[in-house]
Amino acid sequence: MLVRRDFDDIREIRPRAALGALIVVCAMLVLVVRLYQLQILRGEDYFNQSIANFRKSLFVPADRGLIKDRRGHTLVDNRPSFDVFMTPAFCKGKERDEVLTKLREFLHLTPEDLDRIRADYQKSWLSKDRLERFKPFLVALDIPRDQVDVLEGHKTEMSCVNLIPTPHRAYRGSPSLGHVVGYMSEVTPDEMEQYEEYRRGQTIGRRGIERRWERELRGADGKQNIAVDAKGRELDKDAQEALIPEGERLVPATPGNNLVLTIDERLQKAADAAFPGRAGAVVVMEVKTGYVLAMISRPSFDPNMMSGRISRAQLKELSEDPLKPMLNRVMNENYHPGSTFKVVTSLAGLENSIVTPGSGISCNGGYTMGNHRWRCDKPSGHGLMDLRRALQFSCDVYYYSLGDKVGLDALSDMAHRLGFGQPTGFDLGREIPGIIPDSKSVTPESGSLRAHAINASIGQGEINVTPLQQAVAYAAIANGGTVWKPQIVRRIESPDGKITREFLPEAARTLGVKDTSLATVRGGLVAVVNEPGGTAYRSRLPDLQFAGKTGTAQVMKLGQKQKLDPSAQQYFSRDHAWFASFAPAQDPEIVVVVLNEHGGWGAEAAAPAASKTIEAYFRIKREEAAEDVPAAQAAAPVSSAAVVTQ
Amino acid sequence: MAYGVTEKKLDHLHWPLVLCTLIICTLGVWNLASATKNAPVLMALVQARWMGVGLLAVAVLLFIDYRWLQTLAWPGYFAALALLAGVAFAGKKVLGARRWLSLGGMQVQPSEFVKLAVIVVLARWFTRDETGARKGHYGIFDLWRPFLLILVPVALVMKQPDLGTALVTFAIAMTMVMFAKVKWRDLIIMFAGGGVASVMAWKKVLKDYQKQRVLTFLDPGAYAHGAGYHSIQSQIAVGSGQWGGKGWGEGTQNQLAFLPEQHTDFIFSVWAEEHGFMGSVILIGLYAFLVLAALDVAANARDKFGSFLALGISALFFWHAFINMGMVTGVMPVVGVPLPLFSYGGSSVVADMLGIGILLNVSLRRFMF
Repeated sequence: MLVRRDFDDIREIRPRAALGALIVVCAMLVLVVRLYQLQILRGEDYFNQSIANFRKSLFVPADRGLIKDRRGHTLVDNRPSFDVFMTPAFCKGKERDEVLTKLREFLHLTPEDLDRIRADYQKSWLSKDRLERFKPFLVALDIPRDQVDVLEGHKTEMSCVNLIPTPHRAYRGSPSLGHVVGYMSEVTPDEMEQYEEYRRGQTIGRRGIERRWERELRGADGKQNIAVDAKGRELDKDAQEALIPEGERLVPATPGNNLVLTIDERLQKAADAAFPGRAGAVVVMEVKTGYVLAMISRPSFDPNMMSGRISRAQLKELSEDPLKPMLNRVMNENYHPGSTFKVVTSLAGLENSIVTPGSGISCNGGYTMGNHRWRCDKPSGHGLMDLRRALQFSCDVYYYSLGDKVGLDALSDMAHRLGFGQPTGFDLGREIPGIIPDSKSVTPESGSLRAHAINASIGQGEINVTPLQQAVAYAAIANGGTVWKPQIVRRIESPDGKITREFLPEAARTLGVKDTSLATVRGGLVAVVNEPGGTAYRSRLPDLQFAGKTGTAQVMKLGQKQKLDPSAQQYFSRDHAWFASFAPAQDPEIVVVVLNEHGGWGAEAAAPAASKTIEAYFRIKREEAAEDVPAAQAAAPVSSAAVVTQ
Repeated sequence: MAYGVTEKKLDHLHWPLVLCTLIICTLGVWNLASATKNAPVLMALVQARWMGVGLLAVAVLLFIDYRWLQTLAWPGYFAALALLAGVAFAGKKVLGARRWLSLGGMQVQPSEFVKLAVIVVLARWFTRDETGARKGHYGIFDLWRPFLLILVPVALVMKQPDLGTALVTFAIAMTMVMFAKVKWRDLIIMFAGGGVASVMAWKKVLKDYQKQRVLTFLDPGAYAHGAGYHSIQSQIAVGSGQWGGKGWGEGTQNQLAFLPEQHTDFIFSVWAEEHGFMGSVILIGLYAFLVLAALDVAANARDKFGSFLALGISALFFWHAFINMGMVTGVMPVVGVPLPLFSYGGSSVVADMLGIGILLNVSLRRFMF
């Protein structure tokens, strides 16, 4: 029985309550529709986002391949070290400032470092890509052991900071190998854009082998997926296993391949020790293969320093050093060859039948063409010279006369055949071609063709070569006419030691010169070292005959170097000393080219170093035979190499 | 024993409402246990204890006729205002807002009880006021007194600041006004005018940074970590639940703390993540049922006072549930409003249980003179 006191009001309320009920149902349906949209229509997307939230990908850096010398002796490997990274998403605002304060204290960061870290933080925080802030960025590279301990101790207070064990490059070989092996430094933003496998903070090879063989050495980074909470803390083992499927937990890194060089580290050290100059280059190359056994460009940089934490001041010092330590003199600088070029003039004369081995030219101390007189080293003159003696004494007048008769184009042709005026094809980065003038390239204002030919005949004038080209040319003369493409990598091995690629000797061309011509020139070169009066007679070895040619290249212009102080100016105006040689004289094995920049006389400043290097080569060879190192046999398949080329 | 309860009268108890409440309470504690699995304190037990206290209060309330509340309306209202004033002067500051008051060692959130006080005082006003009966309806200007009654506590809550509670209190009160004899035309004018005015103010007068400042000022907690972060993480949690959810205690958004305030304002995200669309629809259904049952109580109340009380309580549950779940699913901006009987918080739970008690009381006495 319904009796109500204020029935009217209730009557008023009922329809409104019904309307209210309708509104309630509609509102709840709106929620249901929204939930359908979120959970069913976009459910999978959100599900993946929830996974992306807790899943953190740590990279497992691949071990970079080793670089070894021809004996398997390690020149470059990796040492364990730690880099510090920070993930912006896991520390914001106040926490970020606290972490930065701690890092400054623990890592002894400079204000400059802090600015850089803040800038990196801001950059990834403000990035339009929201995932960017979950990517760790580099705070400090290769921190010392004691700092590692301190950071480990404060790990829990800085959950956004990660210590990543990253192997760093250790250059263990002779410091003189700087230009051979190169160094590593952090990838630039441009490079990261170009090669997507590189991440911020990783390093990439610069110069030398590290750069040229980056792809082989690098390997492929692995990945470790871990589960973290909202503060970036790693979850315990059970939670990890529950949240990350087993197959996705670890993608192992693939280590890089190892490179075995043709370099013989013992010989490299010996050559470096023998080289007396402040600046210059030494190349030792196998005559029968084109394999480079030693390669020195002095001064060099220290790859360990370049790959580590190098300060701006140090970089500035390097780039402003007048001796240019970053310049690879073996292949990237032009030098007048001086008298070492006389072999080219000799061959051109013999091949063009301008001279025979027996025909003589008289040297009275000078050679006149028009109103210009070119003087010989010996003002009183050498007297009657044949080709052998002209080489032995390095008689300029003989070659002025010969060059004048042969002509610039024939000289140029022979020079090109020997590999001058073009890159040798050496696979170690950029290489300059040198300059070999011919009748088309010279301008009448710079002098008559004949004057050019006369200057070129003794390796002056516009002739410019690199020490590497010299080695290739002298090797061709020594080996009977094969112009090699010089090589420095012997083979590439997988980490477990399997050979994945082998570099057999490669001939650029054959000389196409008569054997008798080569024999005549070789005879002259033997006389240079082994006969009294020969320019390098004092550098001869008692129990081993070798052959070579001295060179003293005049340095004409001081150019930009004029700002230097007088003593430096005096240094920079001195002649370059050359010695190009091969040994043994009979059946040559190696060619040794020494360039001592501003060293003065070739006979004094270059020949002794070559002599010592040759001596070292044979001493090492004897020792090796005595030790019976198995690796030595694998190093250079000399006989098969010869087969390949012919 | 006009005001007593006999065994026979227990038959008149609104059992579906009781059952619905108990189910929501149980699910709430169960869900809270998951949301606070990693917390050092067993918050679910604390919550259950408060529910017990609330149930006890409900049982006690059943013995007292709700009409006594008419007598208590004014003292209750002023006591509530006094508590709010107390918060303003002696409140505990958390995240830039003063909302809590320390009473006998307990942290009380007076704004939760203010809602009830406002409901009771409005119910009394509409019951006693003769204007409506005399004119047959209320004009806009006849309502200045109830508006004053509403705006004073709302302003005090705003000042804490607690935008969510202020809005929800206002919404509850306005819902009650809608049920008074206000002409539809007047109601429409009132809401349209208010709506247009606020939209105009928001769009034309305020600049973006000012709006941000207003929002940040009104609710600093929600904007502390960058506007939108909470909302996004909450939607990821809800969406990732898909059809059936990830299972109790298995929600990664919840367990790994990607969800903000997962035990209070964002408790529904936990439920939606772990129990999916099915579980969410069931929970929405339960709240809808609760509100509809409350409306049913209002429509069948013995007197106008009971009816308005029940209306207020319906509005209380509806607005809390709707705003909270709407916020969590991203259909509404982030304003801190608890989900009744689900969100952790003693004051809120006890206030909600008192509301249920009032509903049962009104329903129980619908046949009595």
